[in-house]
Amino acid sequence: MVSSIMSETESHRIDPTLADEPAVAMATLVSATGGGSSSKKIGAKMIVGRSGRIVGGVTIGGCVDARVIEAADALVDEGGRRVLSISLDDDEAWEVGLTCGGTVEVVLDRVGPRDEHDPILAANAAVDAALARDEAAVIVTPIEGELAVFVSAEDGTRAGTLGSAALDAAAEAAAVSVMHTESRVETVNGRRYFFDRHAPPMTLVIVGAGQIAMSLSTIARELEMRTIIVDGRERYATRERFPDATEIRVGMPSEIVASITPHARVAAILVAHDYKYELPVLRHLLRTPIGYIGMLGSKTRGAAVRDELRNEGFTDDELARIHSPIGLDLGGKAPPEVALAILAEVIAVRNGKRA
Amino acid sequence: VTTYRAIVLEHFRRPKNRGRLENANAESEGANPLCGDRIRVQAEVCDGVVREARFTADACALCIASASMLTEHVRGMTVEAAGAVGQEAIHRMLEGTPPPARTRCVTLPVETLRRALGEFMER
Repeated sequence: MVSSIMSETESHRIDPTLADEPAVAMATLVSATGGGSSSKKIGAKMIVGRSGRIVGGVTIGGCVDARVIEAADALVDEGGRRVLSISLDDDEAWEVGLTCGGTVEVVLDRVGPRDEHDPILAANAAVDAALARDEAAVIVTPIEGELAVFVSAEDGTRAGTLGSAALDAAAEAAAVSVMHTESRVETVNGRRYFFDRHAPPMTLVIVGAGQIAMSLSTIARELEMRTIIVDGRERYATRERFPDATEIRVGMPSEIVASITPHARVAAILVAHDYKYELPVLRHLLRTPIGYIGMLGSKTRGAAVRDELRNEGFTDDELARIHSPIGLDLGGKAPPEVALAILAEVIAVRNGKRA
Repeated sequence: VTTYRAIVLEHFRRPKNRGRLENANAESEGANPLCGDRIRVQAEVCDGVVREARFTADACALCIASASMLTEHVRGMTVEAAGAVGQEAIHRMLEGTPPPARTRCVTLPVETLRRALGEFMER
């Protein structure tokens, strides 16, 4: 039996280890209510093959997964779709105070990995195409009833259909807000649909190729984030120092940063600790829709940089976008500890938590 | 605040000739590899005279002040005269001499302009 970790950015794909199966069951976590602490992120998937192979999972501890696997085995043999509503309350666990609590809803679909007309595979291909363009896409499927698949990508590209042009248009409108938040269930024309969001990984633009940047790029790789190391100094920004970086760019930092599309999935992390880079980079970034701007330095130094920019005409609202001191206050001083605090803050901001 | 310091800060906060020069026909980029100062100096040369000079830089205050004063200073000069401008001219305009450790901050724009004009002359 194969069981592997499925990354969030690859969760729509059928794992290669299952590609030779004639049919597999794809279980998708579409909602979690109540306690919910044991559920994975909405949209989490588990693929179950006829051979017994399993990839991914829909709960952290696997308490629900066994029931999903049981249903998946039947689905692969019999076809159709299944919607499982599973209570996480367990009588015995409740008595000792160890119950998870809440209810999760899991939808199971049958997929033919070798069927070139399979609608889910076609939707996955449309998602792959969007991700290759560095754009998000949303797969829309009804929760109950016959399978239908519609894909709406960030650039307006569409694929598949829910059955009518009007329904597709309504789903596309609802997909816009999902595109920038998280996967969820939405009601369209009185019927429940799952909006499954797939977005490219976050990109960290790290200005300043010092030791904190080195730790940032290493930890970011584990978090499936892309890293672009930016510095004006060739001796610092080297592949030897940054083996985990996605990209290393040497030149005028403000021009390099200006060449990167600053959308919501990009975080700029200024760790040069040098105004010569900070000011020109901030002048560019503060009036873009970039998702996060953080700058290394004390409160006093952060205030001085803000004052300098305020005198140039930047507003308080614009200056409030700068997270400085950067990172959550974890109390660490070593470069890896500071890097961890910075990435914790980036994740908190991305997830809409106070940071 | 000394006059030298006031001049540096004035040019850093309100630099002359910062930005791209659309009609440039001479251009070079320079860097101080350890401190990380980066500058691009552009010039428009017509009939052997520097009609316009501008710069783009991610650099320290002294380097930006030097570039600001230099690009003002060379406007209207012949290419030969502009290429011969040295750090002494910048020191005079600064009304002071930077500490030895900061010499490269002043000379980076000077050397970059000289290289741009030299390459222009070789064409």
